[in-house]
Amino acid sequence: MKELQLQIGDHSARVSCTSLNLMNFFKRQFTVKENAAQVDLNITIHEGYGNPFTNYEVRVLKGIKTVNFQRADYLIEASLDYKSAIVYVHDELALKHALMNLYSSYIVYHNWGLLIHSSCAVETGKAHIFSGHSGAGKSTAASLSEPRELLSDEASIVKITSDNVTIFDSPFRSELNSEGNGQAAPLASIQLLHQSIQNKREQLKKTDALINLVDKVFYWAHSPEESKKVMGLLKTLVSNVPVYELYFKKDNTFWELIS
Amino acid sequence: MVQYIQVNDYETAEFDGEWVVLNTDKYTVTKLNEIGGFCWSMMKDAQTVDSLCQAIEQEFGRASDNLSEDIEAFLYELMEYGLIQHAV
Repeated sequence: MKELQLQIGDHSARVSCTSLNLMNFFKRQFTVKENAAQVDLNITIHEGYGNPFTNYEVRVLKGIKTVNFQRADYLIEASLDYKSAIVYVHDELALKHALMNLYSSYIVYHNWGLLIHSSCAVETGKAHIFSGHSGAGKSTAASLSEPRELLSDEASIVKITSDNVTIFDSPFRSELNSEGNGQAAPLASIQLLHQSIQNKREQLKKTDALINLVDKVFYWAHSPEESKKVMGLLKTLVSNVPVYELYFKKDNTFWELIS
Repeated sequence: MVQYIQVNDYETAEFDGEWVVLNTDKYTVTKLNEIGGFCWSMMKDAQTVDSLCQAIEQEFGRASDNLSEDIEAFLYELMEYGLIQHAV
């Protein structure tokens, strides 16, 4: 077994696995921390599970001591506080999705924050999120935001407290790899994207903002207590950060409406 | 008289006179206007269409000529969303 300590959000995760391939995946995608003083998550990974990706359907089974998340290409057996987990995966994609599943469950359980399906770019020290339904243009908006620093292109790590909302550099990337040195930044706005022939930005009422964000959170509903926490975190989020509908042309001029 | 009551004390958010109720059993959200939110909060305890109408008129004044029909339709919808049930 080889071990690595990874930085995710402001947490430290110790991963153990025998596969060199998967270890290389971690070294490529994540910030490796040497000798972290504290370990928040302990994750043991086994390769050779199940079938290649078929769909996103996850079955959740909650037992007395563990909670299991099962998909065709991965199985997570986590302790009820998500601090330790054994993860069985088919391949790298399954590993990435399983870690997103585990980490989002961990941060919700500990009322730390949410993993939101979105990209995020930084402009003069402030983070701006781009979300929307599948195909709305999250990664387009991300690539049109260059050379601004990107904190995520698929899943934004959002820390939520009553005073501050902060975005951390996300290792959960689809294409645009993290340099791993993105500084956390305060969140200034959330955009729900619509591709259009002209740019327009309209602020949403907080109730509509909340309703629109519910299905953008990576969360597999399995217990009323956890769903309550998601709602509480979303409530704090929309209280602190304005949410807009952004109609945008496929060029970088939409940034004129944001900054 | 048929009585209605919340299925569960579901999590709510209230902003600028509008409400969002999260059904944590089904993981669905429902938006209510101010009067809807008021009715929802009244149904912590069992209510009839008449008791709700009276409470609304007391709180907001005379709201509509067809208030009891509106309330019946509203309650029917909340039943559909699994937010309220008949009180036994």
